[in-house]
Parts: sequence; structure tokens; C-alpha cells
Amino acid sequence: MDTIKILIVDDETEFGSTLAERLELRGFTAKAVSGAEEALTILSSDWQPQVVLLDLMMPGIDGLTTLDLIKKHDPRIQVIILTGHGSTESGIIGMRHGLFDYLMKPVDIGELVSKIKEASAV
Amino acid sequence: MKDNSFGSLCPLFCGLHNKNLSTRERYRCMRNSMLIAMLAITLIPMAIISGINFVQYRQLLQNESYANARWSAESARATINAYLEKMEAAITVVLGSYTFEELTDQQQLDQIFRQLKEEHQGLVDIGVIGSDGIQITYAGPYKLVGKNYNDSIWFHKALTRKIYVSEVFTGFRNFPHFVVAASKKGSASSQDSWVLRASIDSETLDHFLASVNTGALEDIFLVNDSNKLQSSSRYHGTVLEDFKLGNKPKQDDILISGEGSNGSFYRAISRIPHTPWFLVLDHQGYAKREDWHSFKRGLMLTLISCSLVLGCIIIWLSAFIAGKLREADEMREAMLSETEHTNKLASIGRLAAGVAHEINNPLAIIGEKAGLMQDLIEVDRDFRNREKFLGQLSSLQDAVKRARTITHRLLGFARRMETSLTLVHLNDIIREVISFLEKEAAYHNIHILLQLQKELPVIRADHGQLQQVLLNVINNAIDAISNAMVTTNNAMEAINNEGEIHITSSCDDNKTVMIAISDTGPGMSTETMKNIFEPFFTTKGNEEKKGTGLGLSITYGIVQKLGGKIEVNSEVGIGTTFIITFPVYSERSEGNGHN
Repeated sequence: MDTIKILIVDDETEFGSTLAERLELRGFTAKAVSGAEEALTILSSDWQPQVVLLDLMMPGIDGLTTLDLIKKHDPRIQVIILTGHGSTESGIIGMRHGLFDYLMKPVDIGELVSKIKEASAV
Repeated sequence: MKDNSFGSLCPLFCGLHNKNLSTRERYRCMRNSMLIAMLAITLIPMAIISGINFVQYRQLLQNESYANARWSAESARATINAYLEKMEAAITVVLGSYTFEELTDQQQLDQIFRQLKEEHQGLVDIGVIGSDGIQITYAGPYKLVGKNYNDSIWFHKALTRKIYVSEVFTGFRNFPHFVVAASKKGSASSQDSWVLRASIDSETLDHFLASVNTGALEDIFLVNDSNKLQSSSRYHGTVLEDFKLGNKPKQDDILISGEGSNGSFYRAISRIPHTPWFLVLDHQGYAKREDWHSFKRGLMLTLISCSLVLGCIIIWLSAFIAGKLREADEMREAMLSETEHTNKLASIGRLAAGVAHEINNPLAIIGEKAGLMQDLIEVDRDFRNREKFLGQLSSLQDAVKRARTITHRLLGFARRMETSLTLVHLNDIIREVISFLEKEAAYHNIHILLQLQKELPVIRADHGQLQQVLLNVINNAIDAISNAMVTTNNAMEAINNEGEIHITSSCDDNKTVMIAISDTGPGMSTETMKNIFEPFFTTKGNEEKKGTGLGLSITYGIVQKLGGKIEVNSEVGIGTTFIITFPVYSERSEGNGHN
């Protein structure tokens, strides 16, 4: 069985790379990018993630716009918002755009892994 | 804060802007100013109208008294005049009808005297006096034949005039009388002129004057040019006593003047034609009239009673208005204070949310880095000091979790929480919350006692938020009691100590439901109570259970948002009671958009 591929989109590169490494240790294949442009580049390549962990507040293209672009590229990709600037309102808007779930930073790794597995099973 | 209320309405309320005065004194000043202004507005016009009435009515009575004095004087003068004219006519007729010889006949004169006396009241005698002043014949009660009148003024005036009325004098007979004398020229004897004289008792004048007297007359009398009374006066003496007349009228005029203090009478003076007499009549003035006194009494009574009634109404009204204004101002100030408090909480909340957002990202990095280190060390069985590092990283993760709890609570405090309003039974929620907490309470030897009103009306609220409210308050009560037990010096006392939390629910007025949560903890000082709902204010100082200072702020925000109120009463050494009220749900309130 193939490992679950996860793309982490977060302008906090330290966070993204560390989280990617932790997820790798738990058997996932993870890549971290710092913005929407890089994410779209990855998506246009052969490497297609099943789950995207997406920050909301990013310079340039924000999280919700990025969500739309990802869903436009491939609606099957499940997106989990992982943000420190979250609010219920933005979560609800995200849900309307096809968001799978919404988590607040800092997140418990166990909870995150559980959500990723749920998302990949959809 | 700008005072835009009644203070600017009227300059009379000067004291209201005096910052040196206390609030109580400023409202007293306002009430007094209002009282004075209202009294002035009502009483001054009333006093002016009463004054005008007073003057007008007095003028009316003065005019009436003046007219009555004139009428009485004219009437009295006409009466005296008529008597004198009748007497003069009688003397003139006798003088024309009889010759000197006939009149000097004693029998003839006696007969004429008897006839005249029957017709003319007050006639004392008659006599014929020769041109030398010697009385030739005399008919009357005295013996005056041969008396010489040559020295008498009246005799000489009678000789020079057709008919003459004398002043009152005593003469030979020594009692007051006056004479009406007429002279005639030529006779059969050697004498050139002779005089027929009639003497009249002065009391006759008193009699005629008395006949015109009315109740309104004070006095009426005659006085001559020489300021001698010619008739008796009620107040100025008897006949021939001195009386100074003062101003005298010309000819037939009637001179009227107000006399006495405060117009007590009017004096009318008129000359009686062809006599040396002035008629003096003192007519009662308005000041002595009963209707004037009655009017004054009525006016004063009306003025005083109206003033008293108005005064009472104005005192009550000014106190009432001042009270209402004070209440309105206090309410306004309370609302401003409440708004200020809410704004302060909101501002702190927004600031806290911003801080929480900014902290979450670095906190996440710390958490992930620590987590990665933990992962790597766990994988590496040979890592030096492995257990010690894992322990340290675990503590680091705990600290991150704690910080995360704080930032999430801060966001929860600040965020406009998405609520799901449903109809809820408060008693059910209380029981649910107690089920979470009863083990912890039992651990601290605290009994939770419920006294819930059956069939409590439902309220419209968010189930989860209500749970959070009750959890916060009851948790605080447990912490307060348990901390107090721990700090008790005596160990045995601490073991035997038992705490109690009383939770009651009730609805007395079908408009609000009330939950009261009372504990037997150490209570709070007034200063603590003032800050209890402020964010970041905490009294939980120990390291193990250090509070975030957000629990009651969040509780306050939720209760406000649900349209309720939360109050706290506390007494040091006795305990603390939180009282939370929520409006009862009704279809009507729902219809009015009340959530």
C-alpha cells in the first residue's frame, strides 16, 4: 500500500519543514512549501498529495484562495486548514469551499495524524 | 464627561456646574433654584393681581364715600336753609303786616308770638327794638324790655340789611341762641328805623342737624367765621367752643377732603347762604366700612391659602422633578459606566486576540521542534541521557500545551462566538455540570447541595456556553474552598473541614430565571469584587493551579451575550454568592427579536 502524501503549505518554513519531518517519521510522505505559488508548482508536477495542510494567513495568495486553486486543480485532494489566526467564521467559509477540517496551531501531533488518516480515507 | 442634561437649561441652576459641590449639594441647589423660580413665577403675578384688586376696590369705596359725603352735606344744608327761610319769611310777613305801633302793643305782640311759636320750632321770643337799641316790647319767657342792644353787632347788621341771621351767642339771657332780625324804616313816631327780632334756641340747629344724620355720618355741626362752634359736635365739643376750620369753601361750593388716618372719614364743608355759618360734615371713610374690612379679610385669606397650597405643590413638585432628574442622570451614568466597561472588555479582548494569534505561530514552531526532538530521541535507543532529554522535552510540550490553552481561551474570549440558540432547561444543565465536577468536589471534601425549582421555565440559550458558564463559576467555588482548607494552619482542622456549595434555581416573576451559586469559601474583599470580571485578573496564586484570569471574563461575556446578568456578593470569612439571571423564553419576546 502506498504511503499517504501530504503537502504542507505554510509561510513559517521552520514549522512546515519540522512538521514534514515528524510526519515522515510516522510513515507519511510529506513536503513543505512556503506559499501558494510553490504549492501549485508541486501540484502541476507528478507528485500528487492526497492531503494538503494549509495555513490561512500567508503573504501573497492567502489560504482560502489557495484552497480554491487546489480544489480547482483536483477536487479529490483533501485540505486541512492549520492556522494560528483561525476563527470560526473563516472555518465555516472554508467548509463551503470544500475544506475537510480546521485545526488551530499549535496542534497535537496525534490529533493531526488522526485527521490526516480520516481525510485520506475519504 | 460633558454634562448635557438639565444643568444647561437655566442659569438659575448655577450650582450644578460648580465642581466644588458634591452631587447631593448640586441637586439640592437645583431643587432650591427650581423652588424659588416656580414660587416667583406663580406668587408674584398672584400678588400683583391681588394688589390691583385692592387698589381698585379701595378707589371704588373712596369714590362712593366721597359722593355720599357730598350728598349728605347738600341734604343737611338744604334742611337748615329751609328752616331759616321759613323763619325769615315769617318775620318778614309780621314786619309787613303790622305797624310799629301795633307791634309795640304788648298784647298784640304776645298774640303774634303765640302764633309764631306754634308754627316755628325753637322760637324763644320776639321783640321790637328801636333805632337806639332799646327794646321797646318783648314777648317771651325773659324780662328784656328796656335792654339796650346798641352794642350788639347783630343789631347794627339788622339795621343795615333787610333781614339778618346772627351767629349763636349767649346775650342777656345767658344761653346759646341766635336771632333772625329784620328792620323797617319810617314810623309814626320820631324813630327812624326799628328792628323786629326773633330769638331761636341753638338746640334747634342741633335738632335739624340730627335729623339728617345717618349711620354713615361721623359728625355734623356748624361753625362760624370766628372758629366758634354754632351747634354741638360729637367729637369737638359743645356750642361756642373753639374749633379751627382751616380751608373754607367759596360761595355755594362744597369742599371735601379725606381726613383721619388711612381715610377713616371725609370732611365736607359748605357755607349756609345768608348766614355766618359753615356746615361741617364728617362722613365715614372706606376704612371704617364693614364691606372694606370684609373684602380685605377675603383677599388676605385667598392670598394666604393660595400661597400655602401653591407653596406645598411647588415644594413637592420641585423635589419630585429634582429626584426624577437625579434618577435619570444616575441611570445614564450607570449605563455609560456599563458601556465603558463593556468597551474596555472588548478592547482588551481584541488586543488579547491579536496577541494570541501572533503567539500561536511561534508556539507551534516550538511545539513541533520539541516534538521532532522527542521523536528522534525515542527512535535512537542509544541516545546519551535519553530519559533526561525525554523528560525535559515532555515538560516543554506541557508548557506549550498550557500556553495553547491560554491562547485558545483568549481567542474564545475575544471572538464573537458562534452560538446555537435552543430552548434549554437550566436544571438539566446544572445536573450535567455537577456530574462532571462532583468527583473533584468530593475529593476536596466539598458537598454540592442542589435546591432546584421544579418546572422552571425554559430559556433560549446556547447549551455549550451555559455549561461553560456554570463550569467556570462552580470550579472557582471548588478552588476557593479547597485553597482555604489547604492554607488552614491546623492540620486536624483542615482534615475535618468540610465545604459546601449551594446551587439554587428559581423563577419568582415568570420573567427571569435565577441561579444562585453560594460557597463557604474565604470570600472576597471589595477591591477583589470590583475586578473579578476583568480579563487576566486572578486570585489563584499557587503554582499548581495558577489561573489565567480569563474564566470569569468569558463567563461575563457569555451571560451578557445571552441577555442575562451576573452579579457577585461576597463577604470575607463568610463566602461568595454568584447570582446569574436569564430572561424566560416566550413567543412574544421571540417575536420582538429578543435572542
